[in-house]
Amino acid sequence: MRIVVLIKQVPDPLLPVSELTVSPDGGKILGPENVPPVVNGYDEQAMEAALRIKEFRDGECEIIALSAGDNFVLDVLQRSLVEADDLVLIEDESLDTSDPHHLARVLGAAIQHLGDVELVLGGRQASDWDHGQVPLALAEHLDWPCLTLARAVRVDDTRVEVERVLSDGYQMMKCGLPAVVTVTSELGELRYPTMQMRLQARRRRPVQVSLEDLQVGTDIDPEWRTLGVSMLEKTRDCRFIGPDDGTEAGRQLAAVLLEEGAIVSIQPGGGV
Amino acid sequence: MGTVLVFGETEAGELSTGFWEQVSTGRQLCEQTGWTMDVVVVGCDTGPGERAACRSGATRILVVDDSRLDDPWPEATTEVLADVCDELSPDAIVMPRSLLGAEVSARLAFRLGIGMAMDVMSMERDDDGLVVTRPVFGGAATASIRLSGRPWIIVPRKGAFAAAEPVAAPSAKAVPFASGLDSRTLKTTPLAHQRLTDTGKDLEKARVIVAGGRGMGGAEPFHLLHAIADRLDGAVAASRPPCDTGWVEPMLQVGLTGKTVAPDLYMAVGISGATQHMMGCSSSRVIVAINNDPDAPIFRMASYGVVGDWREVLAGFLEALSDGQAKEIT
Ligand SMILES: Cc1cc2nc3c(=O)[nH]c(=O)nc-3n(C[C@H](O)[C@H](O)[C@H](O)COP(=O)(O)OP(=O)(O)OC[C@H]3O[C@@H](n4cnc5c(N)ncnc54)[C@H](O)[C@@H]3O)c2cc1C
Ligand SMILES: Nc1ncnc2c1ncn2[C@@H]1O[C@H](COP(=O)(O)O)[C@@H](O)[C@H]1O
Repeated sequence: MRIVVLIKQVPDPLLPVSELTVSPDGGKILGPENVPPVVNGYDEQAMEAALRIKEFRDGECEIIALSAGDNFVLDVLQRSLVEADDLVLIEDESLDTSDPHHLARVLGAAIQHLGDVELVLGGRQASDWDHGQVPLALAEHLDWPCLTLARAVRVDDTRVEVERVLSDGYQMMKCGLPAVVTVTSELGELRYPTMQMRLQARRRRPVQVSLEDLQVGTDIDPEWRTLGVSMLEKTRDCRFIGPDDGTEAGRQLAAVLLEEGAIVSIQPGGGV
Repeated sequence: MGTVLVFGETEAGELSTGFWEQVSTGRQLCEQTGWTMDVVVVGCDTGPGERAACRSGATRILVVDDSRLDDPWPEATTEVLADVCDELSPDAIVMPRSLLGAEVSARLAFRLGIGMAMDVMSMERDDDGLVVTRPVFGGAATASIRLSGRPWIIVPRKGAFAAAEPVAAPSAKAVPFASGLDSRTLKTTPLAHQRLTDTGKDLEKARVIVAGGRGMGGAEPFHLLHAIADRLDGAVAASRPPCDTGWVEPMLQVGLTGKTVAPDLYMAVGISGATQHMMGCSSSRVIVAINNDPDAPIFRMASYGVVGDWREVLAGFLEALSDGQAKEIT
């Protein structure tokens, strides 16, 4: 079984707002130059889901990491070779990584180019533009089924079943293969790569595929356009409740909140 | 004349909580364009939802009442909505900011070859279309986007548009719409749906929220948060790590990928204040941060802060709540 895991290079989402800047053309957010980007968190979870499937199939499974973008930092992307058997990169300065539809067409062409792909795993959203659209658009483009928000993914030779996290519980859903599945962080802990995985990774090199190879144009949807981005930092003036003694500070906090009207009643039993 | 279509998602037949904010967004679009508003109510046993939708001021109200739509089924709902769009040819579609709404929007946008804007905070008409703003980078920045191809698909950010008031008399009669939904041609199949009781549903309504983060260190300390929340007639929430590690159910998550809340009081305990978390709670009236790291970013977003170990601080806090000492101090 051939599984493609979609990975996107993004600025580190945990960088404080104060360290982010807007690109000179006003269209992108950049991290500081000395802080490397990361692979989008949910994509690492998608990779973990792929590894669990590989394990379940006693290794009878090939995992290909696939990424499209510009300004790739190879060091960062190549780390996925610890888990994946192959890494396929589509790097092109003309690629607009904020356009989910264009990305879906490019990734779709790459998946068709690879051939025999039975399952595509991606993240529920990328932490740069927070779109949550690429895998859905990709599935529409390929005319494949798509299941989303999986915290567990099970496959057999013909179908995939996922457990989705919803806002009021969990839902099981299934579909036939080939299919696209998005993964959510509730999937749980990522594994720590073994020494053997690390050693094997050293022998592997990424495969570069060009937009010309894929025969997709660089035309960008004129139907919508990012006009610009600006930083947004909301702050409040924090009033610190002083005493070093934590318990006393807690007591005073209750008093202050009562005074403030944020707590209406302090009578045992609660309520107003 | 143009039309704005508001998608009325239902849960157990009732319109979902954000519906009146969508109506408000729809009305604002109508004001800016001179268009009229239509509503489509979709779900199973939609009677209550239909009756409420009749008070939205919409010109037309369509209903798709189908037992197969009892559980969320994104693919099927996309087909239904695509049919409705074929019939009504709307110029704008206002979608709910739910998991289903976001997914259906993304599918529909690709199919129609248009852009969609998720978490819209503001909208302004210009000669070439509609310029909207939305948070990006987990709320660290705002992007402005021009949607030009129609229909514009707009998913309003929770709380960005004040809930509209229902109109006094029904503005239209609800009319059933026969969608060509054929389960045999659909590629996905919903199986069991396990609904939990502690879904954090009350979070969106709670006046007081006590939220715990990774700093709680485990599942057990959340009992203490529950004890405090009970005292204050509030609800318990969490940042992402407690949900990912299973200390609490994922439904309690507040933030970008969790719930958006705006209570009177939001107490963040052992939460560092990542932008993705603050996206879900920054509109709370009073934010209290309890954290043992004085440099935690949460203090920049809090109204009140206590630097200390939550074990001690909450012990004193609960004690004051329990024995009425807080009163004496004031
Ligand atoms: C695309 C994307 C979406 C996301 N969506 C969400 C979301 O919806 N909701 C969300 O919450 N996060 C979300 N995140 C994750 C977010 O970026 C942060 O990683 C997360 O909010 C951190 O949670 P935390 O503050 O509980 O943990 P940490 O950042 O680890 O902070 C724990 C805090 O506890 C404090 N602490 C430790 N021990 C004690 C003690 N004994 N007493 C007092 N304080 C103590 C520490 O000082 C620290 O500040 C998302 C991330 C991405 C990339
Ligand atoms: N440029 C890209 N290259 C590879 N995968 C991507 C790319 N963009 C998005 N994805 C995948 O699609 C998911 C959702 O991204 P988005 O729609 O941008 O929020 C990500 O978590 C990735 O798995």
